[in-house]
Amino acid sequence: MPFRRFVSRFDFLLFGGAMALALLGILGVYSASLQNPASNAFVRQLLWTALGLFICFVVLSIDYHYLVDYALHLYVLSILLLIGILLFGTTINGSKSWLTIGGQSFQPSEAVKIVVILALTRYLAGLSEDYLKVQHFIVLVMITIVPVCLVVLQGDLGTALMYFPILGGMMIIAGLKFRFVLAVLLLALTMAPASWLVLKDYQKQRIMVTFDPDLDPKGYGYQTRQSLIAIGSGGILGTGIGNGRQSQLGFVPEIHTDFIFALLAEETGLVGACLVLMLYLFVLSRLVRVGEQARDRSGILIITGIASLIFFHVTVNVGMALGITPAIGIPLPLLSYGGSSALSTYLALGLALNVHYNRFVY
Amino acid sequence: MAIFQDNRKLISRMKGLRACFVLVFLVLFGKLWYIAVLKSDYYKDLAKQNQIRIIRLLAPRGLLLDREGRVLVDNVESVNLVLFLDKADDLEEVFEFLRGLDMTEEELNERMQAARRHPKYQGLTIKENLSMAEVSYVLAHQNEHPELTIVEEPRRLYRYGELAAHALGYVGEISARQLEQPEFKGYHQGDIIGKCGVERTYNRNLSGKDGQRRLLVNSLGRAIEELHSIEAIPGKSLSLTLDLDLQMVAEAALGDSPGAVVAFDPIHGDILVMASRPAFDPNLFATRISRQDWVRLSNDPNHPLQNRVIQAEFSPGSTFKLIMAIAGLESGVVNENDTVFCPGGISLYGHYFHCWKPGGHGRVNLSDAIRQSCNVYFYTLGQKLGIGQIEHYSKLLGLGQFSGVDLFGESVGLVPSEQWKERTKGEKWYAGETISVAIGQGAMNVTPMQLARAVGMIATGQAPPLRLVKDKRVYRPPATAVATSGSVPIFHEKNLQAVRNGMWRVVNEYGTGRAAMVRGFEVCGKTGTAQTISKAARAKLPPEVAAKFPSNAWFVGFAPRDNPEIVVCVIVQGGDSGGGVAAPVAGKIFQAYFDKKYQRPQQPEPLPATPLQVAAVTADATEARVQRGGINQ
Repeated sequence: MPFRRFVSRFDFLLFGGAMALALLGILGVYSASLQNPASNAFVRQLLWTALGLFICFVVLSIDYHYLVDYALHLYVLSILLLIGILLFGTTINGSKSWLTIGGQSFQPSEAVKIVVILALTRYLAGLSEDYLKVQHFIVLVMITIVPVCLVVLQGDLGTALMYFPILGGMMIIAGLKFRFVLAVLLLALTMAPASWLVLKDYQKQRIMVTFDPDLDPKGYGYQTRQSLIAIGSGGILGTGIGNGRQSQLGFVPEIHTDFIFALLAEETGLVGACLVLMLYLFVLSRLVRVGEQARDRSGILIITGIASLIFFHVTVNVGMALGITPAIGIPLPLLSYGGSSALSTYLALGLALNVHYNRFVY
Repeated sequence: MAIFQDNRKLISRMKGLRACFVLVFLVLFGKLWYIAVLKSDYYKDLAKQNQIRIIRLLAPRGLLLDREGRVLVDNVESVNLVLFLDKADDLEEVFEFLRGLDMTEEELNERMQAARRHPKYQGLTIKENLSMAEVSYVLAHQNEHPELTIVEEPRRLYRYGELAAHALGYVGEISARQLEQPEFKGYHQGDIIGKCGVERTYNRNLSGKDGQRRLLVNSLGRAIEELHSIEAIPGKSLSLTLDLDLQMVAEAALGDSPGAVVAFDPIHGDILVMASRPAFDPNLFATRISRQDWVRLSNDPNHPLQNRVIQAEFSPGSTFKLIMAIAGLESGVVNENDTVFCPGGISLYGHYFHCWKPGGHGRVNLSDAIRQSCNVYFYTLGQKLGIGQIEHYSKLLGLGQFSGVDLFGESVGLVPSEQWKERTKGEKWYAGETISVAIGQGAMNVTPMQLARAVGMIATGQAPPLRLVKDKRVYRPPATAVATSGSVPIFHEKNLQAVRNGMWRVVNEYGTGRAAMVRGFEVCGKTGTAQTISKAARAKLPPEVAAKFPSNAWFVGFAPRDNPEIVVCVIVQGGDSGGGVAAPVAGKIFQAYFDKKYQRPQQPEPLPATPLQVAAVTADATEARVQRGGINQ
């Protein structure tokens, strides 16, 4: 009976955790749109979630081995798409990374991350060694660097940076020898002072204010400072939905997208913020569990890519709201308002559920 | 098996991944704890300093101009007091302070109720148009009351006060009930909307888009810096069809008598004059109308808020003989040369009906009957037509139907019929009633607008949509007009000519309407003196009581006779004589129109309303602004 088979193979825990986060996101977007009755962000977020779930189940219905088999095709198509957008795309907020279909704009660079995961998986699954050799290392970097360059050219540095954790995570699992790690670390350490000389003043300031937002409270430190005030004034129980002075009066910029964590922290307090973080940790450890149970290398690698991606998004975004990481405009998966982010996250979720769903099939 | 071996290595590395996740999340939890628990008080203090004031920049409404571009309705700056509820800890105490303003107990209570419902982070207007003394009072106590701010906002100024007040309408704060209506979709609490008249019909064209200023303020309520502002987009100005000169003449001619005047162009449908008495000053509504003013206006037995041109129903009296004449000729019951002998009365259905002239008019044809307003002729015609035909032609001429002018709240009037009486009174129609209706008495009721429209149809054979707005693309007919403005009944030109001929003689051949005569301008018209109580009822009353029910004076007419340009309809309530009271009013309007057309020097007329001293009003605002120079807003 197909239904019984579905129930026995579907990962309800992973899915449930993700849905709990999505609900908190919808609550946050609802609160953020209270001050602007003309905004339809709330309704749109509901629609994105519905569309995302549909995509999630479409992806689930195709065995991930087929997707890995066609990864090269998908990869080439994606590169062509990125080049096309570079030539003919729409510019929003200074990034020429948007594709406009029927009045609706998407950022395909978000979804291309998932394709890169598949492409890296395809390459790594074909290797039989336990550790990567130099030539493997070079190929993997090449696979990643091509879309990264295109996204950087589009002017979207934040999204481009998020390709590297995928590469890093997958290489570590595939067997990065310690000397490689050491080499990269050494390189970074020697580059760091050098890069400090190369960086322009405003870039330096941006990094500096991360660690001390009071350095420039009205300029680069503004967002971080206001976000900290929001989280701090929320206290343990929060001000209640719709009552956060910082969030409702527009002190925190991008409150419904990049800084939605600050809104939830202000209005639902430490309790709500901890719930969010615990749900993410739950989803991440559930992903690791799915990876451990995966039936083959490609399953493990896909899960690694997805887990690294979500982990870095959450760390950088929440870190930004808490004043730990520099203010890079990247969304919080499942919570932030936005179609592109939602669609690629649900794509990833579908893929992860897929790996779990097909774990016993030989 | 080899594959399985492979995976073991990978799986063992995943444990490292999990450890890494947990480690990093511990850091996040730690920082969160530090900010939200350990440093919470510090950040709460910072948040308190983060005071923002969202000040609404009220968009000025579009101006209303007359047909020649002269400004009828304008905006002036008004100095208003706004309360910010997020800083008002104790409302009772704030309102105790507000007692120092020139506000009644009732007004204060009403505002206090409003304050309890108002969104926390939006300003609530407490009082508009503050006096200098009030501004000083608030400024002197600014330190104790940082929740109060003085802002300047545009306020509606009706330059000519009561002039054309009913056509222009007035504005006011949107009510809770209106907020839910589809007509006002997209409006918010506190928005100013048009409540009636053109202000209401064209509210969407006139209202602009409000802007916003976000100010960062310190704990004393003083602005530290402007965070950002969105400029208000003013509403679009609207050119009306009204003619200021004619309107002034009409209002002056009407004087203080209750009544109404409407004049329009029968070819294009442009309403040139719309006046209703008694009137009100729409400027009273431009600021929040005081309760006593509202009670006074709405409880006044003379109904100053009623637009008598479209909302009051009257017996048409003898003016209805024009409709009878059309009905007689068009139905073929009579032709224009048929005569009737008037001995001063006639016996019909066992009842003797008097003509108004005791000695009688002798032998009269249709044109004579119109000129002398002979009742006997029309009694006879009424008997021949019967109520059914009368109803049919009345409706063809637009009586008993909405005129379709672009204003809300029009009355429909009443054209009696056998079915109507059966339905409303449950009684049969008596033939004798037809005789009363034939001279415009009985149950027949019309609005001045309907009657004017019917006269326009007699004058030109056409019934264009009636408009108060000049631009046809802007014109928006009310929903009620759709049914009526579509089909135009075509009457025979010969028959129309015959009626016009009679109307010409009314004015120019020693008829009842000679007071409307204008030398060189062929005015055609018809007078009417409509009883407000029946003769029988009057006879039963003592004379001094009967005198309290004087008849209404009517005049309807158009000019010139060929290619008419203007239709005028005048009613003076209690005027008692159409020819003596209403016709001279119409005469002055025709004269003014004629003089204007040929650029003759205008007859010196006392102005009914001098333009308000706009300079004085704005000077007041400027002075207040100077006083506030100390404040940085």
